Amino acid sequence: MPQMKSQSKNDKNTITRRTAILGLGGLGVFGALAGRLYQLQVLQAEDYRALSDDNRFNFNMLLPARGEIRDRFGVTLAKNSQNYRVIVIPERASELEKTLDDVSKISSLSESQRERIRKDVKQNPKFVPILVKDNVDWETFSALNIRLHALPGIVSEVGQGRSYPKSGVFSHVLGYIGRAGARDIANDDDPLLRQPTFRIGKTGIEASQEETLRGASGRLKVEVNARGRIVREWPDPETRATPGKDVWLTLDAELQDFAAAQFATEDEGDDSGGICVIDVITGELRTLLSMPTFDANLFVSGLTQSDMDSMNTDPKRPQYNKVVAGGYPPASTFKMAVMLAALESGMINTKGKVFCTGKTELGNRIFHCWKRDGHGLVDMRDALKVSCDSYFYEVSQVIGIDVIANVARRLGLGQSYDISIGGGISGIVPDEAWKLNRFGTGWRTGDTLNASIGQGFVLATPIQLAVMTARIANTIEAVNPNLVIGENLPAFEPLDFDPVHLAFVQDAMWSVTSEIGGTAYRQFPFGTDPEFRGTEMAGKTGTGQVRGISASERASGIRRNEKLPWKLRDHSIFVGYAPFDRPRFAVGTLVEHGGSGAKRAADISRAVLGEALRRDKLGGSEAGALK
Amino acid sequence: MLTSHSSFQGSRNVSGSSLKSKLFEINWLLPTLVGVVGLVGVVMIFAATDGVWRYGAFQHFTRIAVGGVVMLAVALIDIRLWYRLAYPIYAVGLALLIGVEIVGVEVNGSERWLDLGVIRLQPSEIMKPAIVLALARYYHDLPGHRVSHILGLLGALILLAMPMALILRQPDLGTTLLLGTTGVAIVFLAGVSWRVIGLASLFAAVAIPLFFRFGLQPYQQERILTFMDPTRDPTGASYHIIQSKIALGSGGVHGKGFMRGTQRQGEYVPENRTDFIFTVIGEEFGLIGGLMTMGLYMAVIGVCIWLSMTCKAMFAKLLILGLTTTFALYIFINLGMVMGMAPVVGVPLPLISYGGTVILAVMGGFGLILSAHLHRGVELPRSG
Repeated sequence: MPQMKSQSKNDKNTITRRTAILGLGGLGVFGALAGRLYQLQVLQAEDYRALSDDNRFNFNMLLPARGEIRDRFGVTLAKNSQNYRVIVIPERASELEKTLDDVSKISSLSESQRERIRKDVKQNPKFVPILVKDNVDWETFSALNIRLHALPGIVSEVGQGRSYPKSGVFSHVLGYIGRAGARDIANDDDPLLRQPTFRIGKTGIEASQEETLRGASGRLKVEVNARGRIVREWPDPETRATPGKDVWLTLDAELQDFAAAQFATEDEGDDSGGICVIDVITGELRTLLSMPTFDANLFVSGLTQSDMDSMNTDPKRPQYNKVVAGGYPPASTFKMAVMLAALESGMINTKGKVFCTGKTELGNRIFHCWKRDGHGLVDMRDALKVSCDSYFYEVSQVIGIDVIANVARRLGLGQSYDISIGGGISGIVPDEAWKLNRFGTGWRTGDTLNASIGQGFVLATPIQLAVMTARIANTIEAVNPNLVIGENLPAFEPLDFDPVHLAFVQDAMWSVTSEIGGTAYRQFPFGTDPEFRGTEMAGKTGTGQVRGISASERASGIRRNEKLPWKLRDHSIFVGYAPFDRPRFAVGTLVEHGGSGAKRAADISRAVLGEALRRDKLGGSEAGALK
Repeated sequence: MLTSHSSFQGSRNVSGSSLKSKLFEINWLLPTLVGVVGLVGVVMIFAATDGVWRYGAFQHFTRIAVGGVVMLAVALIDIRLWYRLAYPIYAVGLALLIGVEIVGVEVNGSERWLDLGVIRLQPSEIMKPAIVLALARYYHDLPGHRVSHILGLLGALILLAMPMALILRQPDLGTTLLLGTTGVAIVFLAGVSWRVIGLASLFAAVAIPLFFRFGLQPYQQERILTFMDPTRDPTGASYHIIQSKIALGSGGVHGKGFMRGTQRQGEYVPENRTDFIFTVIGEEFGLIGGLMTMGLYMAVIGVCIWLSMTCKAMFAKLLILGLTTTFALYIFINLGMVMGMAPVVGVPLPLISYGGTVILAVMGGFGLILSAHLHRGVELPRSG
């Protein structure tokens, strides 16, 4: 028993000692843990705080509002509009298909749309909103909004879209916007382009002024969780998006509208063609219109197949920007260039006369004057006034094609202008070198004769005809067209024609419109208003031979044998400027298959020129342009 | 032995029949501290679940309350009964572990759960107090001179090795290590000679590398290797540790404030309601909160050690100290893991982490400690 007692006492001492050892050990571990905590939370706290912030914050891109496009008076041509969109957040839609069925009842969804939605849902995390439909009209949008409670996962949203309030008449000029394609992204490293909802200019002003209109992205500081879901946003003014700047055009929206209205016909819809009104001093374009037009809004909201088909099969080719990209034989409007070349060559006297019998023989070929019976004896001035082809056949043989081509180029033909809308063609001013290069054959005198009346190889666009006319009217400077206000343009080069020669041409053009017997004579071209009763103009008619042949068609030698009667009619062409004594605006008009000679184009030109002068007289309205 | 029956009565003549006076005799300091730690758990789970009561905080509160009742009930049961039940409980625990082996439910790639229809049970949690009971009784019964004897050691080794092997097979490395360390601590406390300790250490130095090489699953090896070198896999295995350290470190001295932890809100630290709940404490209450939590735990452990001193019987002492060791090891492993000092082995922070079985096991353990203290005057039979 005593032995056992001592044993027990021994045990007790041992266990107490060992408890103390373990207890101290435990204390040591607590000390080590506390030390570690001190190290983490005090010594390294800053590092970990930074890491925590790295975890915590993401920067989301804020899209800038696109700049607007306005006319010279500030009328909005392209603006940002409310885009009513319907969106689904998959994680909130327990039964996606049923929800889509329900949405379909209010706003129909095609099977291809639903397929796209399903694909998007599959490819993204469940909390990413997926577009169901955009550009929903207001009625549908409100109908959906009322029923939102019964549509789990569906969210309605008002986003930024683009609309073109003047729908048609500026479509060719403005172009349209769309999602950036692979090539856009390759050429431009702006991360905005990778944003699925961001739109960039695809054509026209929207594309050329992209830099101005786009603006710069902002950054939204957001707190995110481990799965990328936004916990909260941190508004920070310094990272707001910079909206794009507005672009002001030299165009006059009302004049453009007015011009478009002139192309209307009684029974055949809008005539096809183009018109350009240019300021003869500044080169500012007041009207740049291709007819018929199309609604650019369709390109923003997405073209339907039927829209596409009707546009593509329309013989009047509404998508085609004829005013800058349509190459037509300028016909008799080219005669000013020949006339000026004759004067500049010094080989032709203005008093010299040609006897017009109605035809000119060259070797075994016969070249006809438009007037079968001939004009009889005509001098240079009369030749233009009555548009006698024979006179120009004779003169051109004397001076040769190279002199004519030189003058034509100095008048602005055969070159495309940089007016920021793209697609412009240079047309053709043929000469010996051109033909050798183009066809590998030598120039023939017959080619000269054809060219002298603006036929044959000669091709020009309506804007080139307007520029040519503006340069003639300006007398001093080689006016170049411009479309965007505030763009730094190189100063115009001197025109460098003898003013006396130009005055002679101007006078001859005056006779066309202001003398009895002129091909476009009107006693009061701009009506009988007291204000414009005495205003005179100068101009020239042209009647282009059949076929709307573009430069490319001619170049590639393809000649379509259109059987449509409309297609067989002549092109109606007119150029002119007014007022004659103090030139202000020049116009170039072409109506495809306008029929009845140059009358159609002359009528349109006269009306539009008159309207341009009238609007110019309103004064004060230039405030916008001064900006 | 019959006569000894009367001597079972406490020397201070505790009237065992009066429940009321027995309750009064309980050391109330320990239940109070345990309750406070439990409430810290409620608050932190509340924060970890974005302030939604029903996502855990409420359940935790209920479990602490139920656990408290269990704890007191266990405390009131006579130590002699626990002494008698020590081996049966161990046997049941072992049986349940074998049951897991056969019909266990797999969760997160390891079989730890036993579905008994009504409740889901984690037998490895029951094994923690059971092994302490068994070893305490083993050493209580073992004559002192045989403690360091080869046969005495072998008995303890067998008691310890069987459950460890079964738990390691689940596989649950954390609990295995915890069980083993607790067992070693009890052997140490029982008075094994320093010579044996020296030899065992030598053996361990050789055996542990071999065990690492052949005894661990590849994912367990990976976890330990990642722990040694966190850059091995920054998104995978060490993601836990890195994010956990960011949460703690960014908390600084004062913390980001209650419910203001951004690492927590961002759900960067996985399992922050359960094993990684200390990251929420550290992030939202900073060094101050962390040290206070550790202080609370130290107080609990200190009280337990003091209680063990008041007991006479070897069984009572070893029971208290063994259970306290388990409790302390939970804390050490968990905090070490959260702070990037120990491998990620999935050990909860006792009383604070969300999880029912652990709370019941831990609080049941405290019940045993209280029982041992309450019946400290009771003599237990001792052979030899």
